[in-house]
Amino acid sequence: MIHVLIFLPLLFGVWALVAPQQARPVGLLGSLLTLIVGLLTFGAFLGGNDFAYHVPLLGEAGIYYAVAWDGVGAVLMLAVVTATFIALLAAHDVPPAMVGLALLMETGLLGLLAAQDLILFYVFFEATLIPSLLMLGLYGGAGRVRALVKFAIFTLVGSLLMLAGILAARYLGGAPSFLLSDLTAHKLGGAAGVWAFSAFLIAFMVKTPLFPLHVWLPDFHAENHPSGLADVMGTLYKVGLFGLFRWALPLFPSAFALFQPWLLALAAFTAIWAAWIAYAQTDWKRLLAYGALSHMGIGALGIFSGTVAGGVGAIFLLAASAVYTGALFLFAGGLQRRFGTLELRPTSGLAKSAPGLAALGLILVLAMVGLPGLSGFPGEFMNLLGAWQASPIWTFVGFLAVIAAAAYALTAYQNLFHNAPDKPASDLSSVEWWWGSLAVLVILFMGVYPKLFTEVLVPSAQALVGLLGGGK
Amino acid sequence: MTTLIILFAVALLATFAGFFAPPRSVKIVTLLGMLTALVGLALTWGDRATAFGGLYVADAFSQAVTLVMVVGAILALLADCGYFERKGWPAFEYYALVAFAVFGGHVMASTAHLGVLIVGLEILSIPLYALAASRRDAAGYEASLKYFLLGAVAAAFFLYGIALYFGSTGSFVLGATGKGLVFNAAVLMLMAGLSFKTALTPFHWWTPDVYQGSSTPVTLFMATVVKAAAFAALARVLVAVGLTGPAFYAFAAIVLLTVFWGNLTAMVQGEAKRMLAYSSVAHAGYIAVALFGPNPAPAMGFYLLAYALSTGLAFAVLAELDDGAGVPLEKLAGLWGRSPLLALGWTTALLSLAGLPPLIGFWGKYLVFVEAAKNGQYLIVALALFAAVIAAYYYLKLLAVALFGKPVKAEPVKMSGSAPLGIALAAALVLLLGVLPGIAYGWFSAATVLIK
Repeated sequence: MIHVLIFLPLLFGVWALVAPQQARPVGLLGSLLTLIVGLLTFGAFLGGNDFAYHVPLLGEAGIYYAVAWDGVGAVLMLAVVTATFIALLAAHDVPPAMVGLALLMETGLLGLLAAQDLILFYVFFEATLIPSLLMLGLYGGAGRVRALVKFAIFTLVGSLLMLAGILAARYLGGAPSFLLSDLTAHKLGGAAGVWAFSAFLIAFMVKTPLFPLHVWLPDFHAENHPSGLADVMGTLYKVGLFGLFRWALPLFPSAFALFQPWLLALAAFTAIWAAWIAYAQTDWKRLLAYGALSHMGIGALGIFSGTVAGGVGAIFLLAASAVYTGALFLFAGGLQRRFGTLELRPTSGLAKSAPGLAALGLILVLAMVGLPGLSGFPGEFMNLLGAWQASPIWTFVGFLAVIAAAAYALTAYQNLFHNAPDKPASDLSSVEWWWGSLAVLVILFMGVYPKLFTEVLVPSAQALVGLLGGGK
Repeated sequence: MTTLIILFAVALLATFAGFFAPPRSVKIVTLLGMLTALVGLALTWGDRATAFGGLYVADAFSQAVTLVMVVGAILALLADCGYFERKGWPAFEYYALVAFAVFGGHVMASTAHLGVLIVGLEILSIPLYALAASRRDAAGYEASLKYFLLGAVAAAFFLYGIALYFGSTGSFVLGATGKGLVFNAAVLMLMAGLSFKTALTPFHWWTPDVYQGSSTPVTLFMATVVKAAAFAALARVLVAVGLTGPAFYAFAAIVLLTVFWGNLTAMVQGEAKRMLAYSSVAHAGYIAVALFGPNPAPAMGFYLLAYALSTGLAFAVLAELDDGAGVPLEKLAGLWGRSPLLALGWTTALLSLAGLPPLIGFWGKYLVFVEAAKNGQYLIVALALFAAVIAAYYYLKLLAVALFGKPVKAEPVKMSGSAPLGIALAAALVLLLGVLPGIAYGWFSAATVLIK
């Protein structure tokens, strides 16, 4: 079933590409089926089945097609299948090929989450880049080529460095294959380990993203297709935290210990700095890009704390933000459809003429702010809880970023929906009702019953902390 | 032996058939001959055959390289069809020349005797001098003359190297032991001579002009077949004499210079064929990285195949766009809207050349870098990887122009004859062997460069 889950979107994606007239129904059907298979898989995973499978891909070179679900992979897998379905449901007016490309990206994302072989991970990681670039290049805004070059160069430089790190990790470390289990059994230490870890770190910092390797992110979102579909897929593609959790930290614990204080500082700085910049934005997509960047800083604070609570919190935040940030991008796409602009304040007092839209916006914004009871809260809380054990000072800075989130997000909300009514607009369309309620449901569920996910994440985080040498 | 006979018979048949039959039939005969050669290769795969008192040795490496050459020739033959018809050139010589060149390349790859090697080299080169002029215009003549003159210089280097090699070891056969100044000079001479044909910097100067001036199917042929044959010879020579001492430093300098010069110069080109010419220079550097490893043959064979398929695909697409005056970047604009198949082929080819998984080019790069890393050449690997990042920039630029640019003329591209078949086939192989690299690697894993 794991292969079905990974390659089902690919099948439908190719179908959508060759039959553009039917792209919308094919996309919906494909992502719905993937969602169902994903839910069944998660159910089976809770029952103790990890679907592990492996077969040589390039046997002589020690490369395997090895896939399995562990706690981290399974939780993020659910986020991917859910967010992709919501996005394809919401983006009803995108060019047909975009639907196909989004489904191709979904396969890449599921593959990289499931991969237990480092080269296989790299293959999926890079392969996902191709549809992502095509989506931006074919359907982006006026400055798309510039944004594309920025995005591509950052990602490619990062991943080629990582490839060098991958080769070093195996051949200098003496592991017989690229399997995660072999690599963690033959860790590369010393100076070579520090270099290799740095290579991984740069690749994943680009993809988290973390300051100063985030500069591709605002352009990427601002120039992508206004519907928000590409932004959702791009948000899902920000797998840096996952990469750190699954690969970089377990492979190089000693190098990580050396860097840890600096990384904590960098994460906290990213969080507060991005929140500050977000406050000054005048465009929804840029605001969301910086807001998401700030949250990723908080997530990184959790991961770099090297504690169970921090690790669980980071992955939970990553999964939760995939849904609520994604939904906010789709929400911004809805505003663009109504007003023809992504300006932060195309009108004011919108709550009068479009109360449904206002309610949806409020819930999404509050989830981003981290209101208890919604999906943003448990992740942020656990991150800061974990980070506190590692560094109270930087945790305090992280706290400030959480407060700042309330400032930029609520101000944006207030300006648009309250104050004196200006131009009226239509309320939620039926499509928006559907995807909006689905997104709100997921957000509420993750906020009210995070235990379902944290219980699954805890063993993975404990294993990581164990590999890091017991942790604090 | 079978492959040698088949290839020779095909060349003769193509020559004589040309006197009686229309070019179209000659083309079909040559294509069928190449397919027969493929079957012959498959049937004798892994068998070692020697003939003429050990002058001719068809081992696994020679078969691997011949496979690449035959695949390259098939792509070139498929790509050419309407191209020459549009020019009104009676093309029957073309097929005979292609067949002879492949035959020469096979001889080059299947010997450890330097005398036989240079005979193979000339059988390969002379048809190419004629092919380079096939466009019959000023640029074509210039390309041909340049290629001929520099090729003659290279041959002179090589012959001089042979003379010194014989002088210091008393043998024409590779693997003889020698040392001292004369021997080192011989090795450097041989290296320089073969670096011309493989287009390694600083012996690559002919490449951009010749690639640009030749008609595109011929460029395709040069970029795939000639490179494979020349690398086979280079590998045989360098592994036999051993990359140590001055030879090591000279070759390391050549390789690093090649990857950086090729990629950096490609960035600033305004014409697609020229850009790909520099890209082929850079790829020669990557292939050569494998020679620093303990057993370069499998990685090299894989890379040559990956490169032949990807670059062959790219030139096949350009052949459809080239109306004789080259392909300036603007001409590529809006390819997606004008011909989805060409756009798909172009995308696949460039992403594979850039080394993005899951395409075959990624595994080629992976294998050569690992090969060099096995011998501890981390610095060379790291620098070559860095050059690959630079390369990604211009491949993306080429891709972005074709997919995202506004077309100058929006009319659909009319494709001719067998070209769509060749493009679809190559694109499918680039993807298929990229997803399942184990298949292609299995073909080459038994190969060794050294002939004992």
